[in-house]
Amino acid sequence: MINSNNKVMSLKKAISDNVKDSDELVLGNYTLSMCVALASEVIRQKKKHLTVYSQSSHIDLEYLAGADCIDKIITNFISVIGGTGCVIRRMQRGDIEVEEYSNFQYNARLQAGMYGFSFMPVLEGAIDTDLFRKRTFMGENKFKIIKCPYTGKDILTVPAANPDVCIVHVQRADKYGNAQYWGAMGSVQAAALASKRIVVSCEEIVDHEVIQSSPHNTIIPAYRTNAVVEAVFGAHPTPVAGYYRDDSFFNNWAFGLMMSDEGIKRWLDEWVYGCEDHPAYLQKYEEYYGKHMLNSLKSKPFYSTPVNYGDPQPTWDKNGVNAILGIKYEDIEKIMEKEGIFHE
Amino acid sequence: MSKRYSIEELLNISIAREICDYENVVIGAGIPVTACVLAKGLHAKNANLITESGMIGFDPLIPLIGIADVEACRGFSYSTDMFSIFTTHTYRGFVDSCFLGVGQVDKYGNVNSTVIGDYYNFKRRLPGSGGASDFISYAKRTVLTLNRGEFVEKLDYLTSPGYLDGGNSRDDSGHFLKGSGPCALISRRGIFKFDLGSKEMYLAHNHPGISIEEIRKDIPWKLKISSDLTETEPPSDEELEFMRKFNPSVSIGLRATRRYINRKKYPTLTKKGVAFLEELRKLFFS
Repeated sequence: MINSNNKVMSLKKAISDNVKDSDELVLGNYTLSMCVALASEVIRQKKKHLTVYSQSSHIDLEYLAGADCIDKIITNFISVIGGTGCVIRRMQRGDIEVEEYSNFQYNARLQAGMYGFSFMPVLEGAIDTDLFRKRTFMGENKFKIIKCPYTGKDILTVPAANPDVCIVHVQRADKYGNAQYWGAMGSVQAAALASKRIVVSCEEIVDHEVIQSSPHNTIIPAYRTNAVVEAVFGAHPTPVAGYYRDDSFFNNWAFGLMMSDEGIKRWLDEWVYGCEDHPAYLQKYEEYYGKHMLNSLKSKPFYSTPVNYGDPQPTWDKNGVNAILGIKYEDIEKIMEKEGIFHE
Repeated sequence: MSKRYSIEELLNISIAREICDYENVVIGAGIPVTACVLAKGLHAKNANLITESGMIGFDPLIPLIGIADVEACRGFSYSTDMFSIFTTHTYRGFVDSCFLGVGQVDKYGNVNSTVIGDYYNFKRRLPGSGGASDFISYAKRTVLTLNRGEFVEKLDYLTSPGYLDGGNSRDDSGHFLKGSGPCALISRRGIFKFDLGSKEMYLAHNHPGISIEEIRKDIPWKLKISSDLTETEPPSDEELEFMRKFNPSVSIGLRATRRYINRKKYPTLTKKGVAFLEELRKLFFS
């Protein structure tokens, strides 16, 4: 059991403590706020033979595939860039095996894992598709059909997934690991809570009081989090709601280079291997693109209206009278005496 | 004299016209977003837009970066997760319409968006299912859009189920929302509908200036033509203006969009940055 103590650590330590070769690793984010800083550190530490769960197959997955960290992928969407991509080329060479689900089926596997169930019903229309018929490494365990014990209807199911580790980028967290995420929720929470270990990077570490005043935004409770890393622009070049827009110029180049093995190698040499850590990445970015470029990406604010959670009413009023019983503190022992309940 | 337009614009505007007022509409990234915004701006002001990323009551003010882009709107009405979108809202039958892009399509509106060639030894990969397969199964109706895809006799992979083998086979399977399925397919050449009995696709409208022969050339089976075939109504000036203001990228097309993004000058680029990008350009893009 993890105590609720300070879990803030360096990017390096967060990954080396929590990601091992041959792990099942889930990329926690969905189409935005991709965990680019965390995935880059996985690459720098040369993790190998990973099985990667990826809901939206974005720049993070392409980086990990381009750096040959992956043996297997479970996904529902493959990046196609000019007819190719890092994942696609490795599929063609037989270096990466992919098992494909629909968005929902993929998510349902993690949802089952999150709840502690061994499987999850999914939508039976898929029985008539090749998603059901064509299988790779999951084999007969990709889907199974059972009978509903109440209606006798066919129920299509997928097995639960409990990856070894989730790496996920969120807007803010406290030092204990309460992680807050807002915007389009996607499948981020299920990816994190299904996993055995959770590594959180965030745009800012905030006081515990900030978390307590907005618990509806917390998607991972502190006791489940193993590491908290502060990484400003940690999802760059993808956007983070309320923090920054996507860097379309940088993205255009990155995706262009994913079209060849030599291209992605050159790109990773520059932006992953060529940066010791995340601050070094931001510094290099400034050196190449100028100081103002990152600032120009920053979001314009549109704040959520605060809600009133209510302040605790004092148990004892200013005259020392209990709000519920109408007695004073000194009365307690007198009453206990009268009741004859003291243990002699 | 009406404004001139591109096929891409006609495609988007035709999609927009399929959206009715007060409907619950699931939108995906890409073309349908612009179409949905156009519909909401012009004839379907009360359409309720839903994204699989968990937003309901979502009114984009600018083009989306992706399907979870909350900064394209000023807040939204209901925040949930993907699991609930597919179950609580879609599987329960509350989605009126959805829009899916097509890689390959057969005469019964079955869709492949996964692979061209053998699945295990493919010629060309497409992205895969995403949310498509489950949405087409439980949305009351689905509009298919075929932009760069193809009509085939037999799909290389069935990603998203249309009317399966035609006739009542979809409803008879018991796996789908009764009466659901594709209601139209909009291509670069025409608009196709599905026969109520046989569920076979037929040509309902040819786009202005496109002949039936041209349309038949793309289709490997003997295409049925509606007895009251009419030309697709060309875009109105109002529709074109609205769309061009909202998302000029659609109007100028993908090729020009890429060119203009790359040409856009970034005044803060340093000498080091310029040298780096120049090196990449020479090595990989010459």
